[in-house]
Amino acid sequence: MADSFTYFLMSWTDLSLLLLTAIGTFAGIYIGAIPGLSVTMAVSILISFTFAWDVNDALALMVGVFCGGVYGGSRTAILLNIPGAPSAVATSFDGYPLAQQGEAGQAIGLSTVMSVIGGLIGVLILASTAPVLSEFALQFAPRDYFLIAVLGLLLVGSLAAESLSRGIFAASLGAVIGLVGMDPVTAEGRFTLGSMQLLGGIHYVVVMIGLFGVAEALFQLHQLNVKPVRQNVEKIIPSLNLVLKFLPLSIRTSIIGVIVGALPGTGGDIASLFAYDHAKRSVKNPSKPFGQGAYEGLVAPESANNAAVGGAFVPMLTLGMPGDAVTAVMLGALVIHGLNPGPMLMVTTPYIFWFMVGALVLANFFLLIFGLMGIKLFSKVVELPKAILVPLILVLCVVGSYSLNNSMNEVYWMLGFGIAGYFLKIFGFQMGPIILGVILGPLMDNSYRQAMSSVGDSMPAFLIELMTNPLSIVLTLAIILLLLSNLPLKRMIRSSKNPS
Amino acid sequence: MSKQSKLQPGEPAFNLMLLLFSLGIFYEAYRISGPGFESISSPGAFPLGLGIVLILSMVVIIAGQFRKQKPDTQGALDEARQFMSAHFPLPIVIFSTMAIGYLLLLEPLGFVISTLLFLFVSMVYLRHGRFVSSAIIAAVSIAIIYSLFKLLFQVYLP
Repeated sequence: MADSFTYFLMSWTDLSLLLLTAIGTFAGIYIGAIPGLSVTMAVSILISFTFAWDVNDALALMVGVFCGGVYGGSRTAILLNIPGAPSAVATSFDGYPLAQQGEAGQAIGLSTVMSVIGGLIGVLILASTAPVLSEFALQFAPRDYFLIAVLGLLLVGSLAAESLSRGIFAASLGAVIGLVGMDPVTAEGRFTLGSMQLLGGIHYVVVMIGLFGVAEALFQLHQLNVKPVRQNVEKIIPSLNLVLKFLPLSIRTSIIGVIVGALPGTGGDIASLFAYDHAKRSVKNPSKPFGQGAYEGLVAPESANNAAVGGAFVPMLTLGMPGDAVTAVMLGALVIHGLNPGPMLMVTTPYIFWFMVGALVLANFFLLIFGLMGIKLFSKVVELPKAILVPLILVLCVVGSYSLNNSMNEVYWMLGFGIAGYFLKIFGFQMGPIILGVILGPLMDNSYRQAMSSVGDSMPAFLIELMTNPLSIVLTLAIILLLLSNLPLKRMIRSSKNPS
Repeated sequence: MSKQSKLQPGEPAFNLMLLLFSLGIFYEAYRISGPGFESISSPGAFPLGLGIVLILSMVVIIAGQFRKQKPDTQGALDEARQFMSAHFPLPIVIFSTMAIGYLLLLEPLGFVISTLLFLFVSMVYLRHGRFVSSAIIAAVSIAIIYSLFKLLFQVYLP
């Protein structure tokens, strides 16, 4: 126990580790916030020049970047309606309307505090319940992963789009894009149209930059002469009353975030959408209507996505299974440093677990300091005239997409997705479901095939398992309820009862 | 996008294109692992399901068109004209052309020169002149971007 505590405090007491965590968190905030730079990309780059470092130094830096990056994505979601990461998609639903109303300072201040609360709750749960949660996740069968992904896509479809059918179309379109390339099992080409180049697939970051960067930049050209909303960033630190008012919601959604984050394959993106949906359903009298700048719509996803960081470390450290894309990269970093993530990690190198827990707590404290300090400067970005901002966004999009593979092909794809996204946006198809579809499509395909293979390719056997396993029953019922709640018939009954 | 009781100019044609695209996806999915698929866990099974979902959701969307009012247009030509003026005003067309030109010049001219040129020309156009301030902003921007990405993050630039 004493040893664990010593390892926990290591990053707090060693000056170089303290500085590296601080630098990582600071850099992470801006990496997450700059369109075209992703945390995954940053951590991947970090691996390339930190593999020769001491493992603690490398992990302190990467943990900082991870925490800062998950939070940083929300800043551009609030200020520019461009989520810096998929986990910030839900933040933009109410964060951007708040910025349009000139309340960006208050929104960012509140999102910072709630991110830190969520982050700390995530780490606390990681430290105290990691073995229990990992055992729970072990019980999940592939069909359950498939059902969770379906539920996630339906949620984002019903939340973000004009109608559920548009949301389902967008999510399915994203899943098709995610499947382009070589089938990982049989090496057959899927949706490659005979092109060798497409066998490698389309990187989801290219799609994300195109849809959120270029399409948004083109849309902003419609408002060239609109004076930017002057952001009220005088009142940055939220009042204690405001924080206490939203604390119960923050705690509830943080717990959702940890649980969803702990499920392998699901990360802050799904956690934040679940949390947003929970807030939408549970908060009867929001500060403003959801989608029009409700603080509750900001608190829920921001608490959940940072709490999911702690959750995502659970399966990575105890099972050797990444919770999301960034933890997948961090898993690689641990392996490069000669560690063995998985059940044996806690036995052979328990100090790594407690060191990472300590570094995560420290990174959250730095997040609070840097998050509340840099808002004034950062908010100036949104006050930049569109005529300056739009060309700069395009350049950042080009740099971001090129750096993925050092190839112009990615840049052309990015532009193509940007133009397609512009058309889709015109006709009411939202970008969020497409991106989640791209990320979850391969996961769903894999889970679906594993589930089918496990029952000998027999659909009746699959249905029997679906209707006899308690977890599968709950997930299936949730999907059915979500579909029924969006049926036109239900809406017609509701509108006939409330003609106003 | 807010809920519309009226169809947008070009919406039926766009939806029809998406339906055709969905049919194309279904056909491509059907071709994976040869025509059809051997089992429900074959590489083409899930993509085929996605194709069906795409088609069904587009059918629902197209069916929903009939509940909406038609746009105030006279013929297909007028509809196309209204669509273009609403969604492709001159700044978007010219900026998009500049962006394509920028991408084409990236490799021959290199990142620094082509980006400087693109930022300067597009800012001068979008800001209706202001040559000096546009040149300064473009130069400062490229210096920041270069030092941030090339020197700090060590990212390869085009």
